[in-house]
Amino acid sequence: MSAAQRRKEWQKDQGHRVQLPSGRALDSTPGLQVLAAPIVLTLTLVALSFLPRIQSNLTLAISIWGAVIVLLAWIIVLYLRLRREHASRTFQTMLRPQHYVQALVQLAVFAYWGWHWRPVYEFGTLLAAQLIFAYVFDMLLAWSRRETYTLGFGPFPIIFSINLFLWFRDDWFYLQFLMVGIGFLGKEFVRWKREGRTVHIFNPSAFSLGLFSLVLIATGTTNLTWGQEIASTLTLAPMIYLYLFLLGLIVMYFFSITLVSGAAAMVLFGLSALYTSLTGVPYFLDSEIPAAVFLGLHLLVTDPSTSPRSRAGKLVFGGLYGLGVFGLYSLLGAYGAPTFYDKLLAVPLLNLSVRGIEALILVIRRNRAIKLLRLDWAPLVLNPVHMAVWIIFFGSMTAMGKTDGTHPGDSLPFWEQACAEDRPTACNRLIQLEASYCGDNSAWACNELGGHYRQGEIVSSDADLALGYFSRACELRFQPACVNLLDPGSFRRINPRALDLRLLLREGGQNLMEMTEPELYERACVQHDWDFACDKIMSAS
Amino acid sequence: MVRKTAVPLTALGLVSAVWIALSFAGSLPKPGLIPDHTVINDPGEVPRFLADAWQLPDDPLLGFVEITAGPFLMGSDAAIDPLAFDIERWSSTNAQVVLELPTYYIGRFEVTVAQIRSFVQATGYPIDGQALSGAPEHPASFISWPDALAYSRWLDKILRTSAETPEALSTLLEGGGQVTLPTEAEWEKAARGTDGRIYPWGSEPRPDRATYQARGTTAVGSHQCPECPFGLSDMAGNVWEWTRSPYQPYPYDPTNDSEDLENESLWVMRGGSYTDPERFVRGANRGGADPGARRAFIGFRIAISPSE
Repeated sequence: MSAAQRRKEWQKDQGHRVQLPSGRALDSTPGLQVLAAPIVLTLTLVALSFLPRIQSNLTLAISIWGAVIVLLAWIIVLYLRLRREHASRTFQTMLRPQHYVQALVQLAVFAYWGWHWRPVYEFGTLLAAQLIFAYVFDMLLAWSRRETYTLGFGPFPIIFSINLFLWFRDDWFYLQFLMVGIGFLGKEFVRWKREGRTVHIFNPSAFSLGLFSLVLIATGTTNLTWGQEIASTLTLAPMIYLYLFLLGLIVMYFFSITLVSGAAAMVLFGLSALYTSLTGVPYFLDSEIPAAVFLGLHLLVTDPSTSPRSRAGKLVFGGLYGLGVFGLYSLLGAYGAPTFYDKLLAVPLLNLSVRGIEALILVIRRNRAIKLLRLDWAPLVLNPVHMAVWIIFFGSMTAMGKTDGTHPGDSLPFWEQACAEDRPTACNRLIQLEASYCGDNSAWACNELGGHYRQGEIVSSDADLALGYFSRACELRFQPACVNLLDPGSFRRINPRALDLRLLLREGGQNLMEMTEPELYERACVQHDWDFACDKIMSAS
Repeated sequence: MVRKTAVPLTALGLVSAVWIALSFAGSLPKPGLIPDHTVINDPGEVPRFLADAWQLPDDPLLGFVEITAGPFLMGSDAAIDPLAFDIERWSSTNAQVVLELPTYYIGRFEVTVAQIRSFVQATGYPIDGQALSGAPEHPASFISWPDALAYSRWLDKILRTSAETPEALSTLLEGGGQVTLPTEAEWEKAARGTDGRIYPWGSEPRPDRATYQARGTTAVGSHQCPECPFGLSDMAGNVWEWTRSPYQPYPYDPTNDSEDLENESLWVMRGGSYTDPERFVRGANRGGADPGARRAFIGFRIAISPSE
């Protein structure tokens, strides 16, 4: 008899009140009265739809009402089926630390990030709507397939994890519900046998995120989401790396995932450093490891049930995540796809490789030569030791300015110079960076981009694209761009205005809107080697 | 027991569901913008305008009217026109000046909603949805300065390449003409003629000659104006009209239009609108607007100017 079967038998023997080894108190409630729970939650969802945030957009309200209709229909069908079969349904409560600790850590990320980027707080109502939807969906899915639903905090980390990386815009918010639903369906149906038990293959949130990422890229519909903004606004929160690191320590302490996160981070830091030493330019645009990737390697890839159990397996798993993100970043960039998907696409692939990794570790350990040479090494047993190594490593990186410090990849003059020197990928990065700043409404960056596409020196000439960028810059009241629209035969440019500098000099994402102009120019001169800013300071003094 | 085919089949089903959903979502119009060619069904039939010629006016030059080369009086003298604003004064020594312009052509009417629909239908240009929602024969509004230029560029291109273009117009374009916005001097000469009148019809306000101090726009060319120079309509009121001149103090000098690049961008619009009192619809009045402004009272008219 397998462990799972034994456990099932044991639960049956305990009647309606049982104690499971891995959880707290368990209750069960017989009959169909339990369907009151999804009904009440669904009605709460209806009530939520009348809040001003949701009423501000008709499509959003309709999305929620659509979700409500689906859930109510499911409840009715389930009720009729159960009544016909004279079946009953129950639930049991089980509070698992891996759910609520994870959820609290994720909530802390939302709180800090939202403090510095308000759309996160404004999104709170929609987060609550998804949570309610997730609970009802999960309940109905469970009761459609078995007798007991396990009530706990399970949906919290799934919803939080999805929303730390991808939200659909209000006009397409119904797809967010689809994403949540697919996460739960994936958990329920996409399963395999591992160590004698049938378990889900994919981390539910990562499965959903990976699947949607793939299709968003393939259909060119990334603009339906806030993905790009989410990936780039994490750094608006000061010292975000340190903050994520400290939160990560909590998760590492409780769930022994240090080897996964640590290995991933070390591989990424190492590869970044190697790339920089070979090419003279940073690999990632804004840091050694983008903040969203750093978040992902702490809170997305570390689900214990979809990662290897052995310590060596965890180490390989983490290392492969680092490699995967590093490779996908270039691959996506080469295909002109948004690079922020790198951290999302890697996880489902790794989940699929878990059995392979475990098997490989086993083969290596059993190999006679390995044994003879005493190479069947396994990482040290104690998680605190792993954590100590990780703390020292992160501390060293921080001391070297590789985390929250200034990063040359943030500096436009750096990329302009690197592009002029024909360094690898530098011109592409310059275009990418200017496109990002143009997206943030820096008219100067839009005008520069228009110039690149008009002149065709560092990028293929594209007159229509150039006009598009000039139009955008002109509408942002940048006079040279308006003149460029009138005169297709030339390219006029000026230095960035103070308003542009507030966007262009953000570096780690700091909010420079309140900074005085002299401070801005000093920052542009001292930290970014912007000659015009130095001249301005000189002339002012 | 998990069947071997269950996992791939389920995964395939889920991928298909997401694919269909996203493809469907991607094909929906974005609010306020027209993302592709399929959204506009019919630019609308307008009498006096040609449905098969981009909704342009039904006349030999498709609505372009020749303004012959020669002098005209530009600017305002407060001694003659007490409603004049300081910004209309030519200089501290001369209130007005006689300016010479080469021959150019200007639209008889303001660009209409139907014409903008035709443009968006042909190009998929992303425009504010409100620019398309008015009655087809009314002047287009909610048009930014770059939008107006984009329309001009498109029209220039199709008039040059289409076999439907009247020969006289093709000749004009081949001879160095370019479809664009008028300069403010071109606009003022077209509105006031050569005799320095205050309004297009004379020197006294006449509500029967133009749409001003009104509740909304009227169809272009609604008002008979036999006194108006060159037979142009709505050179006063209806909607403000963008020009290709930056808003800077007189004396007017088109050679310095692209010199002052450091200042915040403002572009001249002329003619006043339906919302304005008589003072603002005078031919010499100068309005300045942010190029990104999209308002119910701002539209434009096109010109064929000699290439600069």
